[in-house]
Amino acid sequence: MADKAILYDATKCTACRGCQVACKQWNDLPGELTTNRGTYENPPDLSANTWLKMRFTEIGDTPENLRWLFARRACMHCTDAACVEVCPTKALYHHELGFVAYKRELCTGCGYCVEACPFDVPRSGGGGAGTVHGVRTMSKCILCEDRITNGEEPACVKTCPTGALTYGDRSDLLADGQARVASLKSTYPNAYLYGEKELNGLHVLYVLDDTPEVYGLPANPQIPVAATVWQDVLQPVGWGLAGLVALGLGLNYVIARRKIKINSEEE
Amino acid sequence: METVERKPKSTPILHYIFGAPPVPGEDVVERYSRPVRILHWVNAVAWIVLFITGLLFFVPQFSGAAVGGWSGLFHRIAAVVMVGWAALYFVTSPRSALSAVREAFKWGRDDIGWLQAAPSYYMLGGEDTMPPQDHMNTGQKLWWLTVLGAGALMILTGALMWFFKGIIPSGAFMWSAFFHDVGFIALLTFGLVHVYLSAFHPKMRGIFWSMWGGKVSAKYAESHHKKWYDKVTKE
Repeated sequence: MADKAILYDATKCTACRGCQVACKQWNDLPGELTTNRGTYENPPDLSANTWLKMRFTEIGDTPENLRWLFARRACMHCTDAACVEVCPTKALYHHELGFVAYKRELCTGCGYCVEACPFDVPRSGGGGAGTVHGVRTMSKCILCEDRITNGEEPACVKTCPTGALTYGDRSDLLADGQARVASLKSTYPNAYLYGEKELNGLHVLYVLDDTPEVYGLPANPQIPVAATVWQDVLQPVGWGLAGLVALGLGLNYVIARRKIKINSEEE
Repeated sequence: METVERKPKSTPILHYIFGAPPVPGEDVVERYSRPVRILHWVNAVAWIVLFITGLLFFVPQFSGAAVGGWSGLFHRIAAVVMVGWAALYFVTSPRSALSAVREAFKWGRDDIGWLQAAPSYYMLGGEDTMPPQDHMNTGQKLWWLTVLGAGALMILTGALMWFFKGIIPSGAFMWSAFFHDVGFIALLTFGLVHVYLSAFHPKMRGIFWSMWGGKVSAKYAESHHKKWYDKVTKE
């Protein structure tokens, strides 16, 4: 099936945060008690109960050059996803529609995905806190799997009043995003379509009127080297080594038992 | 043809599995003191718990058992028991603990000889080329070094992941997980060899019981640990 994606156009976003509310409402996530920190940005960070939030960035120190930038913070649904790579129980996986889904019942709460994600998105603390063992399962945006597999668009997209969020086939959105960036280039020479190539393609695309760094996005996100060598190199080596040793010991037993019996009979 | 009715000699199942312990009246030498034996078995049980609860993380088919983090809890309890008991032993018997650690680093010419003679010795039972060994033979020293080295690595990386999650950079956390796995592989592979050689190898039949009752037959001690045997019998 064709990969689905969300296109976020930062130049159309007014940071009304309707998407934040719609996300909580549809996914039945409780609100969080926060305090006024002198910004409209709220809550301050993603959490197990906040899968989507808008980041506010102020740039410039005079009223003339002041820029107020908004960026969507949620799972990017990477093609090369560090969380999928590192998840020991394969609770995290790529859905056939391309996004990163997970089976909560397989999550052990090890928290490796939380550490590995180059976008700092997954959060521990979902699925009922285990107070005794102190382990909580992972939680993050699931691209409203239950909606999109039933032909609906994600809740955040549905609610977006300015058209900053659109949903559809990734290939279509890619074309839309490229066209939009091309038209922005004349006014904003740094305009950029983020997510086209990053990590082999994200399933959340960003139309930006400036460089990704300005919006707080990593310019060159990567799967951590430790995660790759651990899962792709060390683990197969470990299994192989253990198998070889077990095989060698079995062989030794068969040979040594015969030889030593013969030797002792000769004596 | 005459048939003789003979009662089958009954062997306790454990003797069948591990070989028979020294028979009553046989000359024996004490090999492991009681605190050492208790330390060994506490360690062994904790090791198995750590092994199983750790493995649950890596076999998707078993992960159902790890869900909710209960395996993680038992993993931590076993870790505390293992490290705590070793620390307790170190505090209560510092002298024997230190000399045991020193033993791992005492290497000489006979260790080179052991490494050369080992394949024939353990495969074919050829004893001619095997140089006399001390209280620990070279293989045991290698295992002991692995336990000390990989053990330290496990404690360090485990503590980092347990207590410093979210405090240390995520790169440090990921590498801790990586090296925790390195230590696991080292202890698993060498541990298999250890269990096999001390309980199942045809040349080591019965030696399993030395970690139970503490004694080995004088015959065994002389043929396997000549240097040590000479020392203890001289006293």
